[in-house]
Amino acid sequence: MLPFALEFSAFTDAGFWVGVGVFAGTYVLLALGLQLNVGFTGISNFGQAGFMAVGAYTMGVLTVESGFSFWLALPLSIIAAMLFGILVGLPSLRLREDYFAITTLAAAEVVRISARNLKDVTNGSEGLSCSQTGDFVCFDDTWRDVSDGIESFLQSLGWSDPESLIPLLLVVWGFVIVLTIVLKRITDTPWGRVLRAVREDEDAARALGKNPLVYKLQSLAIAAAIAAVAGWFLAFNIASIAPTEFLPIFTFFAYAVLILGGLASYWGLIVGSAILWTLLEATRFIELPIDADQEAALRYAIVGLVIILLMAFRPQGMFGKREEMVLGE
Amino acid sequence: MANDAKPILEADGVVKRFGGIRAVDGATMDVKEGSITALIGPNGAGKTTLFNVLTGFYKPDRGSITFQGRQIAGRAPYAIARSGMVRTFQITKALARMPVLDNMTLAAQDHPGEKLGNLLFRPAAWRRREREVREEAMEVLSVFNLDEKSGEYAGTLSGGQRKLLELARALMTRPRLLMLDEPMAGINPTLGRRLLDHMQRLRTEEGVTFLFIEHDMEVVMGHSDRVIVMAEGRVIADGSPEEVRADEQVIDAYLGGGA
Repeated sequence: MLPFALEFSAFTDAGFWVGVGVFAGTYVLLALGLQLNVGFTGISNFGQAGFMAVGAYTMGVLTVESGFSFWLALPLSIIAAMLFGILVGLPSLRLREDYFAITTLAAAEVVRISARNLKDVTNGSEGLSCSQTGDFVCFDDTWRDVSDGIESFLQSLGWSDPESLIPLLLVVWGFVIVLTIVLKRITDTPWGRVLRAVREDEDAARALGKNPLVYKLQSLAIAAAIAAVAGWFLAFNIASIAPTEFLPIFTFFAYAVLILGGLASYWGLIVGSAILWTLLEATRFIELPIDADQEAALRYAIVGLVIILLMAFRPQGMFGKREEMVLGE
Repeated sequence: MANDAKPILEADGVVKRFGGIRAVDGATMDVKEGSITALIGPNGAGKTTLFNVLTGFYKPDRGSITFQGRQIAGRAPYAIARSGMVRTFQITKALARMPVLDNMTLAAQDHPGEKLGNLLFRPAAWRRREREVREEAMEVLSVFNLDEKSGEYAGTLSGGQRKLLELARALMTRPRLLMLDEPMAGINPTLGRRLLDHMQRLRTEEGVTFLFIEHDMEVVMGHSDRVIVMAEGRVIADGSPEEVRADEQVIDAYLGGGA
């Protein structure tokens, strides 16, 4: 075998691209909330993985442990994530920006570590998927039915054998498009204008009669709600809800998407996420004379290098506005 | 201005400490409705700190502040601004990465479009208000000769234009009392004169009251009808420009004579 080779066959495999597409879409959702927080409100939310965990676990625990209907568990999981966002934000959004960032990171870790230790409720580090006792219920039973329904619909259209993840891909990207449009529309309003004013200068906003705390809390709660939705799709994709899916690194992946796409640009996130996940997944297929751990680390190094190059040559990201970058200084 | 006009703002025994330093040390003053009142004093007299306390940006350690007869000491800055007492800053706070027009429309009060719920449930109401607000913003901008800049980022304006924008923006809130912290600093004399003309016009036409901090004595003596003098955190004199100019204590404070 060559010391360095790429298995090109992987890139012509439809399954590879469908997998990339599902992850990319999930991370656009996660980054949409960050865009609202960081790009439009100027608050550094480092707890996105935690809000995603609250969403996924609420859905999982309610359906598997408490016997709730899947369709009721979904909205309840969004509400739980929003309440958690407000709970974290109320004391910490009064702090300086960097302290707020640390608080959100800590809150997300509290969620993850609690989930690992509350074994009775969350099944600990093994992860939650199906009930261990009584009726055999899995959190994604209803999702599997929906997925099968979409699959047979596609077959009825003449698509003989769609990849098994195609229904999830379609639903994830459907949410991406709808939520991107919704966020774009609500930030292009007087409400969004106040968010931007808070981002620019809180004291100026106060002097004009705006209460920044209210707007920052709303921004954080919306980001948490969208993170909960991303949490569902992550759980459906992996077919399990486990603490390791919500490590802080995944918040930073979403930040990488934000940096690649550009601040204050919603559509940029889609391209940013597509690039990030293509890079992350494609680098799996580079064969090097090193062991698997080293190779895994190398993948992150490559992503880091791409971000550094982008910062050097296009600091506003691919779709960010250069004026907004320069004038901010 | 008649001396018997009733005060719109009254401060009584206001104290603000920072550690061991009493930046405002029992300041007592009032601002008569419809007046243009100047607040002067040597550097470090506590003028800007008093401004910050009056407008809620600092909480007073002691003392009472009433605006239009209501106690406002310790209330949040946004609440004080909503009640009609609006300030500008010594170092301008133009919202640089927002267009000039958005700086203006942001300042409009009672805008239903600033509430998330109304975006969904009262779309017609907020859009209607937004059209009104935009029209009004363009009118105010044209008064300040900034209408041609309405589409540009505020960060691209010159220092003097930013000062004007900040004043125009404060006016968009339809204030009863406008508090300006060194409005003339860093702007050229032509713009400065225009700004002073605007103040006079707004006072006569719309009954807006002004309290402004200023170092330029020519401006203070020529354009205010009352002067409040601060030194070492206290109000040491208060009267017409002529009275204040002749006051021994004021001369001492400015010449560093000491008490």
